[in-house]
Amino acid sequence: MSKLNMILLGVAVLIGLVLVSLPVETVRSWQTDFLNIFSPVVETTSTVGRQITAVNQGLKTLDELERENRELSSQNKQLRAINQTLRDLEAENNRLRAAVGYRERSVFDLVPARVLTRDASTWWHSVKINRGFEDGVDGDMPVLTDVGLVGKVTTAARSMSIVLLVTDETCRVAAKVEGSREQGIVSGQRVAANAPPELVLNFLSRNADLKPGTKVYTAGVSGAVFPAGIFIGTVKEFRVRDLDGQAVLQPAVDFSTLEDVFVVRGSR
Amino acid sequence: MTAFFPPFFVAASLVAALVLQDFLPPVALLEGARTQLVPIVFCYGALAFPFAGMLGLAVAAGFLSDLSMLHLVDGRVEIPLGWSILFYVLSGAVLQGFQPLFLRGRWEIHSFGSGICTVLLLLSQYVMISFRRESLHLDAAVGWHILGPGMLAVLFAPFFYLFMRLVTPPRPVPRPRRFTP
Repeated sequence: MSKLNMILLGVAVLIGLVLVSLPVETVRSWQTDFLNIFSPVVETTSTVGRQITAVNQGLKTLDELERENRELSSQNKQLRAINQTLRDLEAENNRLRAAVGYRERSVFDLVPARVLTRDASTWWHSVKINRGFEDGVDGDMPVLTDVGLVGKVTTAARSMSIVLLVTDETCRVAAKVEGSREQGIVSGQRVAANAPPELVLNFLSRNADLKPGTKVYTAGVSGAVFPAGIFIGTVKEFRVRDLDGQAVLQPAVDFSTLEDVFVVRGSR
Repeated sequence: MTAFFPPFFVAASLVAALVLQDFLPPVALLEGARTQLVPIVFCYGALAFPFAGMLGLAVAAGFLSDLSMLHLVDGRVEIPLGWSILFYVLSGAVLQGFQPLFLRGRWEIHSFGSGICTVLLLLSQYVMISFRRESLHLDAAVGWHILGPGMLAVLFAPFFYLFMRLVTPPRPVPRPRRFTP
């Protein structure tokens, strides 16, 4: 190897070592810049992909479209009616809570978002969404669908954010079990052997004896990222371990078909 | 003999690979293994470029792929930015040893190089996150998640080689002059 190549090799290794030792905040801001630069490319590729899929799947006859339109209109009316009833109930509930000195229960302020891509990484479970700090999205904001919990925002760029899915081992959620006083911590698995991925609920009492089908919700402990009452999943299996009980959960959300999500920006 | 591979196409392919690999679905047959395109592009450049070009590509590929896959949770980075640069520099230096064979048209060097590079990259990442999370799980699923992308890289690499041969047709290399005392 020539002397010049040795020097270049040393420079390349030095660049690597300097980057390894950078503080987290610098790395975060670089990642934000990277997402800002790449977001138009990612969004365009995602849109093209969607349109190709839509052409493949969307060739329906006029009869089918008319039937679908009728069904959706009827469903829309039904949901509007239910929504109105729930609003009345919410107002009544808040009046009663105020009467007995409880704090008013608030509803979430949601930002609708579309999943652009799934992370190609083997070891982490995350997706990129088409909303960023321009839309009021910030780090540590919970993300959900109409069905249940999806995860939380880890990095927010101008018009794109990274969402860490609840199926990731590093995404931990304080959870409570429906119909009992049991509480624990839900997390994903490092490597899921089976699809769809499962969640585990740890630190339950050994005699919890949860039955399959029992629902698990976010506990909303103080200072936590996730508000209380978001559906996480249902119990599939309960195991007794040496020191605690562990439940295996089926996530409420189907992550393989995840397309539209909501970021919880706060409460109204 | 092939010798001239314009770096522009490799650099453009690197950026395209970085974006496209996020859109490829996991392969159910290989226990949900994901396709990694960046090591395929890097291995091609490492075999085709001179040493200085390989180093430049290693820095670019490592920096961009680390930024795109950076896992930041609770103010902590699991695999630091720059780690992939060190990995690509090391594996590129090894691949340079096979360059004479590759330039003689042995495409399978690129194919197997991409597979081995992908497997070693994922293995090193897994060891690192296991240290960070203070627990090591080893089972068949982990094996598939490391070997699966390697197998996919071996399968995809010849297509990339073919693509590069189409966009940058090989040029004849002048034969080295014989040394006559």
